[in-house]
Amino acid sequence: MLSIDKDNRRLKGSLRVLQLIVALLLVIYLGRLVQLQVLEYDTYNPISQRNSVRQETVNPSRGLILDRNGTILVENAPVYSIYVTPSLFDTSKISLLATLMELPDSLVDSRLQGAIKYSRHRSSRMFSEVEFDIFSRIEENIWRLPGITHQIESKRVYPAGINASHTLGYLREVTENEFRESTNYRLGDKSGRNGLELVYESALRGETGRIFKRVNAYGQGISSFNNGELDIHPTKGHNLHTTIDLELQRLAEKLMANKAGGLVAMNPNNGEILAIVSSPDYDISRLSGRLDQDYWAEVNTDSLRPLFNRAISTREPPGSTFKPLMGLVGLRLGLITPETRVNCNGGYYRGRLYRCTAIHGNQTLEQAVMNSCNTFFYSLMNRIVQEVGINDWHAMLQRMGYGRVNHIDIPSEGPGILPDSTQMDRLLGARRWGLGDQINLGIGQGVVSASPLQVAVSIAHIANGGYWVQPHLVKAIEHEDGDIEQITGDKVRIEWIRDRDLEPIRRGMRRAVLEGSGRFYANPENVPTAGKTGTAQNPRGRDHGWFVGYAPFDNPEIIVAVIIENGGFGSVSAAPIASLIIEQYVTGDVKRPDLIDRMLNFVPRSSDVVR
Amino acid sequence: MNQIDRNNTSWVRRFDWLTILFWAILTLIGLTAIYSATLGPVSEFLPQHIQQNFSKQFMFVGLSVVCVIFIQFISPRAFQQLAYLIYALCLALVISTIFFGVEVNGAKSWFEIGGIRFQTGEPMKMATVLAVAAYLTSRRDISAVKLRSAIVAVLIILVPIIAIVAQNDTGSALVFLPLIPIMLFLSGLPHGISVLMISPAIIGYLTLIDWRLGLASAVIVAVVVYMLEKKIWLSVGTIVAGSLLVLAIDIALHEVLQPHQQLRIQAFINPFVDPQGAGWNVIQAQTAISSGGVFGKGFLQGTQTQLRFLPEQWTDFIFCVIAEEFGLVGAGFVIIILMFMFLRLLNLAIGLKDPFSQMVIVGIVGILFTHVLINLGSSMGIIPVIGVPLPFMSYGGSSFLINSIMLATCLNLYLRQKDMSHFS
Repeated sequence: MLSIDKDNRRLKGSLRVLQLIVALLLVIYLGRLVQLQVLEYDTYNPISQRNSVRQETVNPSRGLILDRNGTILVENAPVYSIYVTPSLFDTSKISLLATLMELPDSLVDSRLQGAIKYSRHRSSRMFSEVEFDIFSRIEENIWRLPGITHQIESKRVYPAGINASHTLGYLREVTENEFRESTNYRLGDKSGRNGLELVYESALRGETGRIFKRVNAYGQGISSFNNGELDIHPTKGHNLHTTIDLELQRLAEKLMANKAGGLVAMNPNNGEILAIVSSPDYDISRLSGRLDQDYWAEVNTDSLRPLFNRAISTREPPGSTFKPLMGLVGLRLGLITPETRVNCNGGYYRGRLYRCTAIHGNQTLEQAVMNSCNTFFYSLMNRIVQEVGINDWHAMLQRMGYGRVNHIDIPSEGPGILPDSTQMDRLLGARRWGLGDQINLGIGQGVVSASPLQVAVSIAHIANGGYWVQPHLVKAIEHEDGDIEQITGDKVRIEWIRDRDLEPIRRGMRRAVLEGSGRFYANPENVPTAGKTGTAQNPRGRDHGWFVGYAPFDNPEIIVAVIIENGGFGSVSAAPIASLIIEQYVTGDVKRPDLIDRMLNFVPRSSDVVR
Repeated sequence: MNQIDRNNTSWVRRFDWLTILFWAILTLIGLTAIYSATLGPVSEFLPQHIQQNFSKQFMFVGLSVVCVIFIQFISPRAFQQLAYLIYALCLALVISTIFFGVEVNGAKSWFEIGGIRFQTGEPMKMATVLAVAAYLTSRRDISAVKLRSAIVAVLIILVPIIAIVAQNDTGSALVFLPLIPIMLFLSGLPHGISVLMISPAIIGYLTLIDWRLGLASAVIVAVVVYMLEKKIWLSVGTIVAGSLLVLAIDIALHEVLQPHQQLRIQAFINPFVDPQGAGWNVIQAQTAISSGGVFGKGFLQGTQTQLRFLPEQWTDFIFCVIAEEFGLVGAGFVIIILMFMFLRLLNLAIGLKDPFSQMVIVGIVGILFTHVLINLGSSMGIIPVIGVPLPFMSYGGSSFLINSIMLATCLNLYLRQKDMSHFS
């Protein structure tokens, strides 16, 4: 009995000890609870806030691009994208996602692997430009797809029915480098990659906004936070008002279709580009959103080089379109006067015979321009070389836009070639060039080359009374608040050009259209036009046809330069197109539908060597 | 006289309503938290079968009430007499689960009968307590002071631990361990030796935080042991063994443990080292608790809970739901009720004369209390995360049922203590 009692007393003591331990430990736990909930509240509460509130950047809507009359050329349309955060994604859901997307499992898996390569914990775009009904199906099932989120983005669309691919440009995702160098971009953002989209990127882009959303652990947005009080709304990008005349551009693209070549239509008084075409072009709508790899490869490898902007980058000899400029130089240098006559016997003999196209007889400058007499300009070039030197000639013509860029506001403008003696050394080899190479330059052949833009800008001096005007495509930038920032190109009077020297050349160009090579197709009724055809000798195939013309003759509003590759004579290939553009612009209509039809069916034959 | 008095007193007077009240409070809070964690706004992100957890738990509560009442009609003698049989049956069940069980979350610890899943480790807990208690009180000459008896008792506890570890359910197995010092202590093991037995846990825990703390605790344990046992060699041995333990744990941490286990320990010491990975659960759990503040964010208003930042918020992290939505007031209340319940149960044991009954109650308290310590400790970042349910509150039918049955057994042992009287 005694031992039982003793045992029992000991047991009771042990139980009290246990009670003490229980109480002590739970009091410690209570202390920890107080520590967490009272003392460390300020440490953890923000984490819970940050957890459940996500800052989302909202891309601003990109500025619109409009034509000169305010018609929309480029605007935005919604695109639906699917994003994935690999660390939250359950790989057993691959086939569910694939089924919902109507895609093979393997594709979903490969996109997932790509996302993992970028980051396990950050979300990256898995699919973009998802069809709306597939997108809504994903949205309905998003709770079954942890780690998957969706977003509405935007892509560029082109409602005006013109292509103008080289001019407008397209958007592509920023590269890793751009992303690193700029704070404005997030990975996956798109930026302008060509044309106006590239040059005016900062204006078009706008300012990124920030919104705060309540989210769950899967990153799904539930609702707005604090009624949106902290949100910073994105600022819309600025709108570009271009100088493009939509109707004119449409006609120009139509006429240039199925040909290789370039066209520039410009207001000769201020440099505003009214229409600009490089043909063949490519479909920017197929490069505007999700990059179509196959199409991109096709465009890149096409032997006609559709990515090459023929309107501003071409390097072809200007041919006879160069002659009016030669005349201007000759008059200014005092080597000729408007009355100077040169006798054409069908060629110019200087060591060897330089052929003319016909036997023109005695020619004044005006007649030589009208008839495109080679003999006159061979002889003039001979005197320039002999008495002044090629370097002065180079300096004078360079002021007019040859052999240099004219700073148009789209990329990849080519400088062409206008040689001085150094360049002749470089192009033909030191002391391996002589008088013959220089005399040839006088008729715009040989080592001189230009783009339609340069031809238009240089001949514009004749139309506008001696001014170099900077060609440009944007005339105003409209801010979101309605402010409009006007843009005018530079306009520089070229001192060496004398007003009186312009007259005989203008008359010659007018008569070229009335009586010369332009009389068939380059002479619209009611629109007094001045112009000059040209043919660029092409050692690789059929010659390229040139035409440059302006109208109305007394008060020019438009100058058009066109090159049709392998078009043969400029008078039948380039001239009709330029003339139709001029007629459309000046009269608002074209009264020669048969000529349009003819030019639509005009197919240059590159293989057919005429000479 | 005493006995007649007892017989005359109606069972209503003798039944311990206070413990039942605590049980009811905890159960109701648990149901509320499970509702919030599975059927609140968060349900939008949860699969259908999780959303059914609340109603399933509700059914198990009903079933448990029936069991609690039924158990009161059993004579406590039955527990003592059937202890080994129950132990053998449960052990057989546990072992067969290793081969025929259903795997859930990597642990093969579930048995499926007619579509109902049951965790076999749960009844094993009670069976082990009964068996150890039955053994240690079977004969007067058996006592933990005797090495042979002590070894048998330890084996009775170790066998199910090994079996459950084989099920790959280390968390559940861990819960059995404290039974060893508690039952031996109760069976007469000297206080000093008992302290020595639990000292590895204390030294080990402190070593995880800092090895210097581990060493210091070894010294303190040695001093305490000396004060209790007055044996120099024991204390010196304690310091040596303690130091070796600190060294062993340090080596284990860096060399032996699997990378994922190391990460979990790392996450406990500093969760912000890998906030997206190993530290995620720890950070989210502590954030949920802490951001609840004093008064909580309100029922169904907890952002961590409702936006699905908490892992396993209806089971292992249910306490976070309570702490986030009901604050210090709610979570502190839960801890205090748990404390009252355990103290009350131990008081019942003190009031009893029969050592088997006392031991069973203490063993059950030991099991439940260990659950509470591990669960709350994991949630609050006091210990590394170990997945163990919070008794009466976490979702889980088998766990709730067995915990309630264990509680009911304690009440029965108290209610019908005269059945155990040596004089009857």
